[in-house]
Amino acid sequence: MHTFVRRLVPSLIATAALASSLMPVAAHAQSYPSTISVGINLPFTGADAADAANIRDGALMAVDEINAQGGINGQIKLVPVIKDDGTVAAGQYDPAQAATNTKEFVADQNVVAVVGPQMSGSGKAMSPIASAANLMLITPSSTNPDITDPSFASQYRPNGQAIYFRTVTTDAYQGPFMANFAAENLAAKSVYILDDTGAYGEGIANSFEQQAISKGITVLGHDKLDPKESDYTTVLTKIAALQPDVLYYGGVQQAGEKLAAQALDLLPNTPKLAGDGMYSVGFIADEPQAAEKWYATIAAPDTIDQPEAADWVARYQSKYGKAPQDYALTAYDAVLVINDTIARIIKDGQPITRANVRDYAQNTNLPTLQGVINFDTNGDLKDKVVSIFQVRDGLYQFVGPAPQT
Amino acid sequence: MLQQLVNGLSLGMMYALLALGFTMVYGIIELINFAHFNVFMSGTFFGLWFLALLGYGRTSRPLSGGALILVLLATFLVTMLMTGVLGAVIERLCLKPLRGVSGTAPMITTIGVSLILQSLILFASNFANNVPFPGIVPTDRWSVLGTPVNVTLKNVLLWVSAFVLMFVLDAFVRRTWLGKAMRATAQDPEAARMMGIRIDIIILVTFFIGSALAGAAALIFGLYYGLTSYIVGYLAGLRAFTAAVLGGIGNIPGAVLGGLLIGMVESLSGQFIGNAWSDAVIFAILIVVLVFKPNGILGMQRPQRA
Repeated sequence: MHTFVRRLVPSLIATAALASSLMPVAAHAQSYPSTISVGINLPFTGADAADAANIRDGALMAVDEINAQGGINGQIKLVPVIKDDGTVAAGQYDPAQAATNTKEFVADQNVVAVVGPQMSGSGKAMSPIASAANLMLITPSSTNPDITDPSFASQYRPNGQAIYFRTVTTDAYQGPFMANFAAENLAAKSVYILDDTGAYGEGIANSFEQQAISKGITVLGHDKLDPKESDYTTVLTKIAALQPDVLYYGGVQQAGEKLAAQALDLLPNTPKLAGDGMYSVGFIADEPQAAEKWYATIAAPDTIDQPEAADWVARYQSKYGKAPQDYALTAYDAVLVINDTIARIIKDGQPITRANVRDYAQNTNLPTLQGVINFDTNGDLKDKVVSIFQVRDGLYQFVGPAPQT
Repeated sequence: MLQQLVNGLSLGMMYALLALGFTMVYGIIELINFAHFNVFMSGTFFGLWFLALLGYGRTSRPLSGGALILVLLATFLVTMLMTGVLGAVIERLCLKPLRGVSGTAPMITTIGVSLILQSLILFASNFANNVPFPGIVPTDRWSVLGTPVNVTLKNVLLWVSAFVLMFVLDAFVRRTWLGKAMRATAQDPEAARMMGIRIDIIILVTFFIGSALAGAAALIFGLYYGLTSYIVGYLAGLRAFTAAVLGGIGNIPGAVLGGLLIGMVESLSGQFIGNAWSDAVIFAILIVVLVFKPNGILGMQRPQRA
């Protein structure tokens, strides 16, 4: 008995040593799961629901097209996990709900990346949680620059590495480029600025204000609108008396639509400028009269009106029976980035972990309809293109790319 | 400045109509009815749906003359009737069973009802936010005596309808038998009961009238701002409630005075201090008034009940 054990032990050790020396080889022959999950977090409840649906459909179209080809690399199917960060109480996106959703994504081991959020207010709540879990977020429309700004890294990415990737540029360009447009193209000498007190609204309004001042535009005032308030006639009356050349509104639809409706009566002839918060399917549908003549920017090239995107637009149209907006395309591209990232991981024979997904996404170099997608070390797009639209006859008509200086 | 007074008067009239509902209910059963917030909000949707039923949608052109008056009258009647019935149903189903229960139970119930209404409307409006109102009122405007102050047709309509309603309410409470019974119940429910007044009916009627006025305020709100949403009840309701307290809760002229005051304060502080500070100013004034006149501006010391 004893001798048997004495003889067996060395052979067991030898076997174990052999097995461990074989481990790296086994790692090369990764066995991959047949499905992985991609989170989608957008505000389907509240003021921005129509745009959230537009973005979701863009992302789901990419998921369906990839799965129709057999999945990523022809072998891994994508499973979308959709969560709503809009709440009844907020009437729009709710950062607290966004944080809860992110924790749920983190807890779900199958989720390797999340598309979203739509709104920067949610992004500020999501980014630190995602950073701690090394779970990559990729947003098709959130543009507040602070979230990816390295000087706020301790706040939004305590883990240090970029975690908040974007397929759009930021308000560090969107607001200022609109100020350039106001000065150069509209010859504005004075402006009144309003924002909706949200993370996005305040940020873009402040960046617009700075650039407007350096362009020599007089800022007659900067007021804040409570998005739950119904009455903006007071502030509009004040503005009407000051007669600014243009009005700039930084914010999303909840306050924006009410502002537009009341401005129709009180400031009918002042050009009204806004960011991508007012580039929205819902805005024109809700306020066909008041939306007319509003200017809005998007933090991306205007791709869907270009001939090379015609086929994509037609596919979207036939799938959903409605016309897409540009942020449906940036959402589509966000899924393509995830697809490309995981395909490269598989090519290198690496395991599909959240850390690997983040690291490989960082080195994305993917040609898409909106251009080649490259991220800088903060997760921001290297391309900085802002496009300007004006509502004419109930449609956002492309005016041109915004002047960069 | 003068233009802000015009805005303030419009806001104030709306708050006043809403404050009447709070004050009447409080006057009768000493209950703060938080469901009133969202009875008002529901009213904006009832008006919207009735207009849709008549064929006026978001793309409707403004009406004029007789057609406008007729459509408005019909919409006012239907909206007020519906919110009135809603208020009465809330009273019968949720508050009557709690009559005599002391403490905060009835008040908490009204908060619950308020949240239920909000969710129901959210479902009914298909999760939409910022639902547009048909622009059936023309956007005519006139300059006052050649000054740069403008008064719009919407302003005038708002003032006239609010004034008429307040006048009718005043006449009703003062001159009719039912109004007299209401006042008697407010003064002393036990004595009123002994005099043969059926208190339950009076309470029901009070809820009906208060809610109908909220319906009128709701329709005015919708036409004036051109939009509604399931969250409009909260801020408007809170300010109207403040107006009722400021004027002296339980006191009908006090509610009107409080409403007008808050409307004015809101637009003047928006002009001179900044939009974001309106609420701070309103509530600061409320606190100051309550410190010196704990029963509100027109409120009277109620006899202590044993």
